[in-house]
Amino acid sequence: MKCTGPSESEKFAFVLEHALAREAKIWKVPIFQDFTLKGTDIPPFYYEKAVLWIGELSSLFQFCSGTFALAASILNRLLASVKAQLKYLQCIAIACLVVAAKINEEDEVIPSVKKLAVQSGCKCSPAEILRMERIVLDKLHWDLYTATSVDFLNIFHAMVISKWAHLLHGLPQRNPSRHAAFLTKQLQHCMACHQLLQFKGSTLALVIITLELERMTPDWFPVITDLLKKAQIDSTQFIHCKELVDQHLMSFQPSNTVYIFNPASQNIQTHLEERLPCCYSMLKKAVQINLQARGSQAVPAVFTPLQASTYEDDMETDEFYDGFNYLYNEVGTPEGGQGRNDQLRQKGSSSFCPPLEPAPEID
Amino acid sequence: MLQVKKGGSVKQRRFSAPSQEQDFAERVQWQRKVLPFGNATSYLKLEKLNEGSHSTVYKGISRIYGQLVALKVIRLKTEEGVPFTTIREASLLKGLKHANIVLLHDIIQTKETLTLVFEYMDTDLAQYMSQHPGGIHLHNAMLFMFQLLRALAYIHQHHILHRDLKPPNLLLSCLGELKLADFGLARAKSIPSQTYSAEVVTLGYRPPEVLLGATEYSSEVDIWGAGCIFVEMLQGQPLFPGVRNTFEQLEEIWEILGVPTEETWPGVSKLYHYRPECFPLLLQGWLFLLYPRLGWESGVEDLAARMLKVCPRDRISAQEALVHHFFSSLPSQLYQLSDPQSVFVVPGVKLKPEICDLFAPYQKDHHPISSSKFW
Repeated sequence: MKCTGPSESEKFAFVLEHALAREAKIWKVPIFQDFTLKGTDIPPFYYEKAVLWIGELSSLFQFCSGTFALAASILNRLLASVKAQLKYLQCIAIACLVVAAKINEEDEVIPSVKKLAVQSGCKCSPAEILRMERIVLDKLHWDLYTATSVDFLNIFHAMVISKWAHLLHGLPQRNPSRHAAFLTKQLQHCMACHQLLQFKGSTLALVIITLELERMTPDWFPVITDLLKKAQIDSTQFIHCKELVDQHLMSFQPSNTVYIFNPASQNIQTHLEERLPCCYSMLKKAVQINLQARGSQAVPAVFTPLQASTYEDDMETDEFYDGFNYLYNEVGTPEGGQGRNDQLRQKGSSSFCPPLEPAPEID
Repeated sequence: MLQVKKGGSVKQRRFSAPSQEQDFAERVQWQRKVLPFGNATSYLKLEKLNEGSHSTVYKGISRIYGQLVALKVIRLKTEEGVPFTTIREASLLKGLKHANIVLLHDIIQTKETLTLVFEYMDTDLAQYMSQHPGGIHLHNAMLFMFQLLRALAYIHQHHILHRDLKPPNLLLSCLGELKLADFGLARAKSIPSQTYSAEVVTLGYRPPEVLLGATEYSSEVDIWGAGCIFVEMLQGQPLFPGVRNTFEQLEEIWEILGVPTEETWPGVSKLYHYRPECFPLLLQGWLFLLYPRLGWESGVEDLAARMLKVCPRDRISAQEALVHHFFSSLPSQLYQLSDPQSVFVVPGVKLKPEICDLFAPYQKDHHPISSSKFW
């Protein structure tokens, strides 16, 4: 970009304006009514599971986070416009991902539909997925070019970094793109929550940024007021969304970040320490607990080797991170997806929170 | 054949709008009752215009409005479903409404095929240039360039990269309206820039950063292609003709513009294919020593040089290029047009006859069928 053009903040304001216009044009989500999605027999639990599954598949195939967000937005629009049946939900979900990948990923990254059908472990055939693909395109009138919550998160993040860079000096992640990747992970978690479905991607993204700034700096208020105004987000909606996200993330973070590793396995240990800057303070705390445990030499019972699943679960976290890291081109070769695939099939569920024991309270 | 009708009044009406200006169109307008969109029976296939590896393009007529259309029939591959190029093209064009971007009227799905219905355009820039060898009229090149830059400014504003600029993708109407087409390789980009494929843009129009293997590039890739097209229009032959591979292409670029160094292009040495030792030491190459014709008119040389900067960061943006003094002879009302308005609504804006057309008036009513690409 030439420096002679408009200033950076003007450019971002422009970008935001266009993204808001695109979102306003085609944003549509299903409504929950009487324990199911309105007009369907799909209960919220299955909806959430489908979104989480799309998320897992997109990191399995190393798609960028924008592809996951686009697939989720396509899914939402489809469920809001057709009377879908629960038995087709998996097929719909994977077809949405196929369409999103075709739009958002480069030719060389897009897997064949056959590979996707096999590796995802879904129960539908490639032909069924392709039939669904055409239904998706037809029902949404091929109108798929939109701005997703991940786009908004990136825009708001870039705005904060460019205008109030000093606020983010104390980043536990040290590097803005890692910080954005970390927030994206939170956002993706929220996207699978049916209570948060009613909020637009722009609102959700701004809420995530706000909660993060609140934690990091006492000067967050003017920043957010400014962004709220620029994004023309209704403040009642915003506050309501913020409360829900806050609660939701509260339940998400401890279970997802306090892992217990077997200190006997030095490999995993150093691996985790390398990742330290990229993970949030909760993880830091977990490591501190771990280090304290090591320092005291007296290894409590919980730190004795766990089941074989422990290692796999650790891998899951890493790969989850790598999926986003890929977006920022900071990692050479992400870890292999094959093991994860087996694991997917083994588990047959789409829980992000592995069945680990909670960390002991150590003061 | 793209010609200015001499003597007769030129109707200033675009094909994209429901148009009854063709007698033929009027005659087939027999059923305007309840013809639906998205239905194959709403369109009548006329002759075949072009056959590609995945698609065939027919000239057709819409029975809904009675206007000419181009029917791009895509054969669906059984294993991979709808090609990604089609999904991208259709979804992006659905969101883009601009006088210099081809209009997508309709999409028809059948079991084995998919048909994109576009507005009909008479010809394309590749064909226009081949019909007017030796370079086209400077005034016409200016009008075409202005419209191309309008289209680019618009898509870049929407954060879309076209990534496949070349003369066959620039469609022309007989008035001289230029429309950007073929969005099959296009991408919408967000912040921060995602990594992109280095396998984009037809070789002769591929910018140095892509040739060197960069995966983080931006709207500058399209500006380079537009710069190549600009020079090609004026000199009558491609700026980088006949190259066979990326190495040859880079060699040609360095020959004309010099080999970049870390000083002239910070970060270039980190690019995958950057091997300056493979090239003879060329200091500053100078594009326009080779092409004296470009220097004829004020601004030509300067605008081309700004678009063809080797370092992408130094390249002019489409928005900036539109206000370059090269265009100062055009009416100022052009800058007040809204997106869907054609530049030809401004009084006095029209193509000038090309030299070879003046000497070959008998061709006036001749419409050649052979085309490089129709939509």
